[in-house]
Amino acid sequence: MTAPCKASTLLAFDRVWRSYGSGHTSVDALADVSFEIVQGAFVAVTGPSGSGKSTAMNILGGLDVPTRGAYRFMGTGVSAFDKAGRAELRNRHIGFVFQGYNLLPRTTALENIELPLVYRGLSKRMRREMSRKVLDQVGLGGRGHHTPAELSGGQQQRVAIARALVSEPTVLLADEPTGNLDTERSLEIMALLTALNRERELTTVMVTHEAGIAAFADRRIGFRDGRIAFDNDTAPGI
Amino acid sequence: MFLQSVHLALRTIARNKLRSVLTLLGVIIGVAAVVALVTIGRGARERIRSELAGMGTHLIFVFAGMVPDPSSPSVVEAQPLTNEQFNGLAKILGARTTVAALAASRLRVSHGGRSISAPVTGVNQSYFALREWTLERGRLLSPLETASNASVCVIGSKVAKSLFGQENAIGARIRVGQIHCRVVGELAARGATFSGGQDTLVLLPLGLFQTRLSGKAYVDQILIGLHGDASIAPTKLRVMEEMRRLRRIGPARNDDFQVDDMTEYMHRASSVIDNVTALLSSIAAISLLVGGIGIMNIMLVSVSERTREIGIRMAIGARENDILVQFLTEASVLSLLGGLIGIGLGLTVAWAATVFMEISFVPDLKAIAFITAISIMIGMIFGLFPALRGARLDPIEALRHE
Repeated sequence: MTAPCKASTLLAFDRVWRSYGSGHTSVDALADVSFEIVQGAFVAVTGPSGSGKSTAMNILGGLDVPTRGAYRFMGTGVSAFDKAGRAELRNRHIGFVFQGYNLLPRTTALENIELPLVYRGLSKRMRREMSRKVLDQVGLGGRGHHTPAELSGGQQQRVAIARALVSEPTVLLADEPTGNLDTERSLEIMALLTALNRERELTTVMVTHEAGIAAFADRRIGFRDGRIAFDNDTAPGI
Repeated sequence: MFLQSVHLALRTIARNKLRSVLTLLGVIIGVAAVVALVTIGRGARERIRSELAGMGTHLIFVFAGMVPDPSSPSVVEAQPLTNEQFNGLAKILGARTTVAALAASRLRVSHGGRSISAPVTGVNQSYFALREWTLERGRLLSPLETASNASVCVIGSKVAKSLFGQENAIGARIRVGQIHCRVVGELAARGATFSGGQDTLVLLPLGLFQTRLSGKAYVDQILIGLHGDASIAPTKLRVMEEMRRLRRIGPARNDDFQVDDMTEYMHRASSVIDNVTALLSSIAAISLLVGGIGIMNIMLVSVSERTREIGIRMAIGARENDILVQFLTEASVLSLLGGLIGIGLGLTVAWAATVFMEISFVPDLKAIAFITAISIMIGMIFGLFPALRGARLDPIEALRHE
């Protein structure tokens, strides 16, 4: 087929349950949740704390597995992966961006960015080269040898984004990426994420509780009590 | 990946220098003690070996008495060796041997108000042919003097110093027990030796000793030096047979004398030293265990301090194994570092001790390599539990950790 491809499903929750504990004390963090996210989408996940959005993100990121139901990543059921398999999935396909940046302290920006490549067994020189490139892309070219303590919050988050990008992930998972930043820095970070999504078609799933931040996304999925409360999905393919 | 781990481990250790060194004290002390003991033990063994070898390995000793038989509780009262037995042996052994006899007893030796207690030893002329003698002054006893039981003696350097200070002892008359004798030679100082040393000796003719000092024609020891390539075993056998005959020991009776050679002494001395070294080293090794526990403790602290780091690493793709290797490497590098410091310290202590004890400093490279491997292993073994703890963390929990 030479026609432009119809956007294909990248991530799929199929009647996913995630329960903690057992018997009468069992709590369902996710109860029968189904959705699909297509290649190139920019999705905002919202909801109050305890709504299940974090659990959903953990499962999307391969940090957790459903108790029941299936999570398919590029068509493959992630439940079938063992721990090492999921580690590899995270390493190759998923870029994490956290609210608190989660950079290693006393470690330079470049070394932080290199970290995913270390677990891929790349040579030092290769890692340096790739890390410098993404550091330039997030606009911190001159700050490679600064440690997190020497960088502002916004700069730290850019380093974290660079670390997520260096492994050329299939999907970027951002958990409250602007939660610790003032409005101006937040807008800068959102501009960066939006650009990555638009220009590179990097599939992005972002948890946020701020409506203004969620507005950057094409699609908003709202969680409440472990279920999807709303899903104003305008993307094609469903 | 491995080098990366080592690099990371070194960096982590360098960040906590004081903590690391304190943690390592157990390993450092344990390794230092073992290395020092092994090295000193080896030096002592070498010393004894060279000393005994210096006395000549082709030497056979004959004593009265016997090694106590564990099956018979009563100690056999042995008749002393006699001049007749000495002469008998000398006669049958012939030209390829030197047969010497000595009788000794600790006596007071005095001169001009100063006195010292010394092992006064009566020897025959062939005694001097058993080994090299170095003299400070004067000469050894002459054949005529030993044959005629002349009242002359050769004294060791300590005896000379005690009695004469810096003065020349040669020609002076000293009192030995009940008799007087003229000093004809002073032996060169040799330091304390395993066999008691020559510095405190007073050597005089055997006949003089027997007639004037002990009053008995007894010999304490017969020494047989073998020349050239004469082999020890057959000579020993002949000596034993002849001694049984000379001492009229019936076929049903056990020997009441002993025939030893130098190699036996060497084996005996070496094995005593080896056993002592092994015993002390194993006591010292207990502190390695303590050191290992210290490492386990600090690694547990390290894992719990870095829980969040572990979470981050797992989120970006570290497998359980990667985390395990990271912490195992850290523990091993830490422990190896302790081992190396301990080896340095142990060798320094051993070196100082060997200088002090006047023995040779012979580091045992095999033992050092072994203990290096052991210290890496201690890190591995005691680091395993903390490392497993880190590797088995749930990434979600670990990321949430403050």
